[in-house]
Amino acid sequence: MKQLKSVLALILALALLVSCFAACGGNDSGSAGDSSGSSESSPVDSEPSESNESSEDGADEGETNTPASDVYEGEVNGQTYPLTEEKVTLTMWYPNAGSMGELADFNDGEFWKWYEEKTNVHIDFIVPASGSESDAFQLLFASSDMPDMIEHNPNGQKYRGGEDAAIEDGYFVDVAEHLDWVPNYVSWLHSHEDWGKACYSDTGKLYAMWGVWRTINPEGALADQGLSIRKDFLDKVKMEVPTTYDEWETVLTAFKDQLGIEAPFYTSKYGIDNGEFMAGYDTAPYFYQRDGKVQYGPMDDQYRDYLGLLHDWWEKGLLDKDFATRTSGGITADNDMMLNDKVGSLVDYGTRMSDTYITRGATNPEFYTVAAPQPKKSASDPDPAWRMYDAGSDRMTTRAVAFNAESENLELAMRWNDGFYAEDIFLNANYGLEEQEGTVWFAAEDGHRIGDYDFRYSNPDGISSATVLVQFWTKNPPVRVEAAQIEQSDQNKQDSYQVWSKYEPTNFLPVRLTNTAEEGTQFASKYTDIETYVQECNVKFIMGQMSLDDYDSYRDTLKNMGIEDCIALKQAALDRYNAREMK
Amino acid sequence: MKKPAGAAGAAAIEKPPFALRLKRDMRANWSIYLMALPFLAYFIIFHYVPMGGVLMAFQDFSIKKGIFGSRWVGMQQFETFFNSPYFTRTLTNTLLISFYGLLFSFPFPIIFALCLNEVRNKHFKKITQTISYLPYFISVVVVVAILTDFSKANGVLTQMAAALGDDGGALISRPEWFRTLYIGSNMWQHLGYNSIIFISALASIDPELYEAAVIDGAGRWKQTLYITLPGIVSTIVVLLILRLGQIMSVGYEKIILMYGPATYETADVISSYMYRVGIQDSNYSYSTAINLFNSVINFIILFVANAFSRKISETSLW
Repeated sequence: MKQLKSVLALILALALLVSCFAACGGNDSGSAGDSSGSSESSPVDSEPSESNESSEDGADEGETNTPASDVYEGEVNGQTYPLTEEKVTLTMWYPNAGSMGELADFNDGEFWKWYEEKTNVHIDFIVPASGSESDAFQLLFASSDMPDMIEHNPNGQKYRGGEDAAIEDGYFVDVAEHLDWVPNYVSWLHSHEDWGKACYSDTGKLYAMWGVWRTINPEGALADQGLSIRKDFLDKVKMEVPTTYDEWETVLTAFKDQLGIEAPFYTSKYGIDNGEFMAGYDTAPYFYQRDGKVQYGPMDDQYRDYLGLLHDWWEKGLLDKDFATRTSGGITADNDMMLNDKVGSLVDYGTRMSDTYITRGATNPEFYTVAAPQPKKSASDPDPAWRMYDAGSDRMTTRAVAFNAESENLELAMRWNDGFYAEDIFLNANYGLEEQEGTVWFAAEDGHRIGDYDFRYSNPDGISSATVLVQFWTKNPPVRVEAAQIEQSDQNKQDSYQVWSKYEPTNFLPVRLTNTAEEGTQFASKYTDIETYVQECNVKFIMGQMSLDDYDSYRDTLKNMGIEDCIALKQAALDRYNAREMK
Repeated sequence: MKKPAGAAGAAAIEKPPFALRLKRDMRANWSIYLMALPFLAYFIIFHYVPMGGVLMAFQDFSIKKGIFGSRWVGMQQFETFFNSPYFTRTLTNTLLISFYGLLFSFPFPIIFALCLNEVRNKHFKKITQTISYLPYFISVVVVVAILTDFSKANGVLTQMAAALGDDGGALISRPEWFRTLYIGSNMWQHLGYNSIIFISALASIDPELYEAAVIDGAGRWKQTLYITLPGIVSTIVVLLILRLGQIMSVGYEKIILMYGPATYETADVISSYMYRVGIQDSNYSYSTAINLFNSVINFIILFVANAFSRKISETSLW
């Protein structure tokens, strides 16, 4: 018995030790798991944090450390600066850890220094660890100190129960009740018809101050991501950019056989992209609409046929052999594979086109990517109707700032954020400060600002392009100037945006559909399981572990899991969306 | 009210009341109680107080309303789970991974300890032991990264399997290989560490028993069978009961690092499902219900195993 006791004591001692280590390890794996599991439910929310780094460029080298001196006094754009007599510190949740470059604090950026001096408001940035943003967002509600302002991507980071519930439960303030504090934002709200629909909820609440694009083309924003293919590889195999599925197959086969490319076509770990590549089959990866009726892609015959094509390519070795185990669930490829010439084509961001990967460390000096149009079944088919952004919300960025309803400085916070919607401030935020003309940016003939491409990507001081972005202006400012992203890009990048933007967005379901709290819970309880099942089966159909002959029984399973209820809920939300009045 | 003095006195002589005994004992051994205090506090604060959270399993929990304000829904969360298409699959996967894990990784450290025990070269023994511990200190994230790399299409494990006639491609994306990889890497990582306890139990066996056995003409094998094994059998049983008590808990960390859509079929366990609905969809009530179900089953198994062991052998946890 004595021996038993000593054994027990030893076990307990070991268990304690183990729990110490488990605690350390748990953290790691938690965040890693999150990044791999972050859901792809809507195409927009899968955007990795560092990837939409705009190619705005700031260039300057001479006076990097001179703080701006032009502090405004008096009323400008409906706000009186400085906003407060005594310096006030506000806290802001700012999930941009992936974009900090070499900065230790976003406050070290030139723009933030200038804006602090102008407003007399100091911002304490709360930056959650990269990859754990969604989990951290959920924890905000459980903790007792909600920051004054919460910048986030509402399409991906959602309060359980929906946006209205976040307001009704008293977490976030209904911006619609305080429109007199935010005159600049209001003038944006009224500047376009789609805005009223997209920003207000069905019950007329304003969940947050949404980020907006100042677009080049009044018709809508340019698509900033799409199919991309290695031009240098195409040259080697003496082929043109493919336009039909048959041509794609020829090109990919040549990549594989002649150049030995490991992954001629790269897909996400779910085997399915955001719909660019399957658009030619007239279907979509998730929910979409056809003549006002909500559809679910995987229920389509066309979707089955597309999986058949991918399965065929998988058998022929044209897909990445390890696609199912890649860590990235989003559209961007494993860096290691891109940089080492293992990828022939993929879906990529406009800012990464041309030779951008060389500055990211690609070994091949000839590295060059160009945009490819969405493939069609035959050259005579009309262009597929699909692209990333829908008509109702393509003027909105994926970022919004919500306000803590219990903040002591609510008015100040809203006025502070409203400043970003005023032209003199958003230009500084997008291009660099006014006195940095000639260094960070220069003026075009008609007077508008143009950033300096060379300064951003081959900085004379050797500052990395990621650091230049945050040091000379801001990451994801509430008003993003599309021209700043496009005009300073090289010609190939500009062409890419054009190639991807030519598709009609008729089939896209508006991103800003909102469910009631009740509907939201119902939808989530069914769709979470369905989504997992679809992701699993996509991969199995492609890899041949499930036969496409069984597609009908697969669809029956989806029906049993309640896909029709989910479609009905989406349909109800769409009908309400279409009936929304412009406010 | 006064008790009759005689009766109280008699009781005090036979056995003083518990409170009094505790008081006396505390006065006499106050330093020991003081040392125990932090641990007592730890268990109360971090293990007993949070137990109140299981109430969430019977509610439609909303963070805003809190545990005391949320709507009560009875067993609805449990019913949802039992009717979920993933119930059978996650349960089966959990039990299978646990069962195979027990079957393969439980005996190994014992055999390893027995082998080490037979080694007479002290230095060799120490070095072997140290090397076998090392993997234990590698973070599971790193272990999985290595494992994934080894079992990709061009990985060394896949190549080895191919050389032995397997032709299905990357092991890591095939459901039929998931359990093998999961348990195999666990065994590799924990072998040395898990054997510590057996090695120390072996060390406590009286050497005179061996001397007597040698005089009686017992060889190495007979010694192992009749002295070594009976000497550590109580340790083995205690550990086995503890392991049985965890049969329903397969940690989610390693699973979610390893699995993917291609391997959900065999890899998705209760805890990873819980992680998805609980953390990612913030459906706290539902995941609490799943966890509670899990713990209750675990508790029952532990209880039964202990009772069984008490009956057939002398060893038990309580």
